[in-house]
Amino acid sequence: MSKLKLANSNKTGLPNTDIFKKKQIDLKRVFSKKAIPYLLLLPAFIYYAIFWLAPVFAGVAEVFTDVNGQFTLTGNFKLMMHSDLFDKAVMNTALFAAVSVMIQYFIALLLAVLLSRKFRGAKLFMFIAMIPMAITPTAVAILWKTGLIKEGWINSLLMFLHIIKEPIVFLNAEGLAAVFLIILIDTWTVTPSVMIILLAGLQGMQRELKEAAYTFGANKWRIFVDITLPILKPSIITSIILRLIAAIQVWAIAVMVLGFNKVPFLVERIAFYVDAVPGVATSEKLAFTFSFTTTVIVFMVTIIYLKFAKRNTKIGGSS
Amino acid sequence: MDKLNIIQKTVMGLVITTMVFSVVVPLLFFLSIAFSSDVEMTKFPKPLIPTFTVTVKIAPAEDDQYEVFHDRGDGYRSIITTGNPTRLENHFRRQYSVRVPGEQLLKDFSKTRIYGPMEFQYRKDFFHNFKQFFAIVNNSIPALKNSVLVSVYTILISLSIGSVAGYAMARYSFKFKDFINVTLLIVRMFPVVGISIPMAILLIKFGLFDTLLGLALLYSVPNIALTAWITSSIFIGINKELEEASLIFGANSFQTFMRITLPLAFPALTASSMYAFLTAWNDTISALILTNKNQTLALVVYKAIGTTSSGIQYAAAGSIILILPALVFTFIVRKYVNQMWGGVEL
Repeated sequence: MSKLKLANSNKTGLPNTDIFKKKQIDLKRVFSKKAIPYLLLLPAFIYYAIFWLAPVFAGVAEVFTDVNGQFTLTGNFKLMMHSDLFDKAVMNTALFAAVSVMIQYFIALLLAVLLSRKFRGAKLFMFIAMIPMAITPTAVAILWKTGLIKEGWINSLLMFLHIIKEPIVFLNAEGLAAVFLIILIDTWTVTPSVMIILLAGLQGMQRELKEAAYTFGANKWRIFVDITLPILKPSIITSIILRLIAAIQVWAIAVMVLGFNKVPFLVERIAFYVDAVPGVATSEKLAFTFSFTTTVIVFMVTIIYLKFAKRNTKIGGSS
Repeated sequence: MDKLNIIQKTVMGLVITTMVFSVVVPLLFFLSIAFSSDVEMTKFPKPLIPTFTVTVKIAPAEDDQYEVFHDRGDGYRSIITTGNPTRLENHFRRQYSVRVPGEQLLKDFSKTRIYGPMEFQYRKDFFHNFKQFFAIVNNSIPALKNSVLVSVYTILISLSIGSVAGYAMARYSFKFKDFINVTLLIVRMFPVVGISIPMAILLIKFGLFDTLLGLALLYSVPNIALTAWITSSIFIGINKELEEASLIFGANSFQTFMRITLPLAFPALTASSMYAFLTAWNDTISALILTNKNQTLALVVYKAIGTTSSGIQYAAAGSIILILPALVFTFIVRKYVNQMWGGVEL
C-alpha cells in the first residue's frame, strides 16, 4: 500500500526541473542493475578460473605430454592400457557400477512399494535407514572389515545362527567373488537411502489416481506398471545416474577391506599410483591418465544426467 | 483398500524388521568391537554387546609371584606369572583394557596368599581403544585438529563465494544464466579425483601443497556450486516485497541484506555449511593426493587399517570419532541429501 502511495505522489508532485536529474538516476540504476548479478557472480568466476579450469587444463596438458615433457597424443594412454591390472580395473568398474546399481534399485523399489503405506514408527524407521549412507565411507570400510576378518562379526553371526560350522575366510576372496563382496557392502550402504527417496516419491503420489484405477478394475500389477512406475520415473532416472557417477568412483572400500591390487578399480588405480608407488615419473603420469579417463567417463554420464534433470536442478529458474 | 489385511500387515512387519535388523546388527557389532579389549578381539564368536568388566583368576606362585589365568571362552588358561607391578599393570592395560596401578593389583592379589586361588573382577576402561588410537596412530591428534580446521576453511570459502552467487541466480535474470546454471551443475558433479591430481601441481606452484588451506580450496570447488544451488532455492522463496519494503522505509541495500534477507536465508546457509563440512570431513582420496604430513582424520583412519587386521579395534574406535559428526550433520541436512540424490522433498 505505502509503496503505491509513494509512487503516486512522486508522479504527480514532481517539479519540471527535476526531470533531467531523475533520468540520470534512472540510467545509473539501469546500468548497475544489469551489472549487479555479474558482480555478485564474479568471485565464483574467478575462483573457478583459478581452482577449477586451471587444474583441469594443467591435467589435460599432463596427459598429452610424456615423461620428458614432449607432446604425445596417445603415449600416456598406451602406458595406461599396458599398465598392470588396467583391463581388470575397467571391467570391475563397469561391472560394479552396473550390478550394484541394478541390485540396489531392485531391492529399494521392492521395499518402497511394500512400505508405501503409512505405518507406526515410520519416522524412526527413516532415521535408521539413513544411517548407512551418513557414515563416512572410510568408516564403512572399517565396519565391514571388522566383520569380514576370520574372527569377525559376520562369522560370529553365521555361527550363532548355525548357518555355518566353520568360520569362512572372506578376505581371501578373489576375482568375481571379491567384486561381489564390494557390491554387497555398497548395497548395504546405499539401498536404504535409495528406498527413502523412492518412498518419498510414492507417498507424495496422489491417492485418487490409485483409487480411480482400482475402480476401473486395474489389478495391483497394472497399477504398479501404469501408475506407480511412471510417477517415480524421473526420480528413479536422476538418482540412478547420480548413483552411477558415485559408483564409478568407488575405491576406498576395496582398498581398505581387501588391500591394493585385489579388486582393481579405476580410482583404486589412481590411489595405488599416488599412495603405493609415489615419486616415480611413470606412476605420476599413470595417475594423471587414470584420473583423466575417469573424469571423461563421469563427464559423459553427467551429460546424460543433464538431459534428464533439467527441471530438478536448475537454480533460480531460467532467464 | 484402506484396511490392511492380516497378510499384508505381516509382510510389512517382516520387511521392516528385516531392514532394521540388517542395518542395526552390523552397527551394533561394530560398536562392540570398537569397545573391545585386546583379549576380547581374539574371542570367537564375538558378542553383540561389549562387556564392561573382565574376570581373571589369580593363583599365588613362588617368589612373591602370581599366576594370572584368563578364560577366553575355552576354560581358564595360564597367561603370565609375574610379581613385577609394572609388568602386571601393562599386561592388564594392554590385554584387558584395565587401568589399575600395579601396586594396587599386587595388593588385591595378596589375598590369594591367605585364601588360595581367587577370581577377581575389574572394570574395563571403556574408552581405552580411543585413548590407544590417539596414542598409537601417528599424527592422529593433529589430524583431528586438521580435519576440523579444513572443514571450517571449506565452510568459510564456499559460503562467502557461493551464497553471493546463489543470491544473484535467485534475484536477477540476465544473459548467460542458463549457461551458468549448467556450468555450476557440472562443477558440482565433477569428480573430485579428476581435479585433485592436477590441483597438486597448482598448489605446489602456490606453495600451498600439503597445507590445510590448499585442501580447503579443493573441497570448495564442488561446494561453492552446491551452496549457490541451496541458497538460491531459499532466496527465491524469500518474499521480494519484504526487501522492497525495507528499502522504502529507509534502509540501504546492505542493511536490508543484513537485517531481512540474511536471517531468512539462515537455514540455507546452515545446510550449505554442513554440506561443506561433510565434504571436507568425509573425503580421503583428495587428502591422500594433496597432503603429506598434514593429514586429515579420515586419511589417518584409512592409513591406520593398513592391510593387516591386527589392532583393528583401534581403527574402529578412530572411525567412531569420524562417524559421529558426519552422522549428526547428515541428519540435519537430510532434506537436501535426499533431494541431491534425485528424490522429492520429504
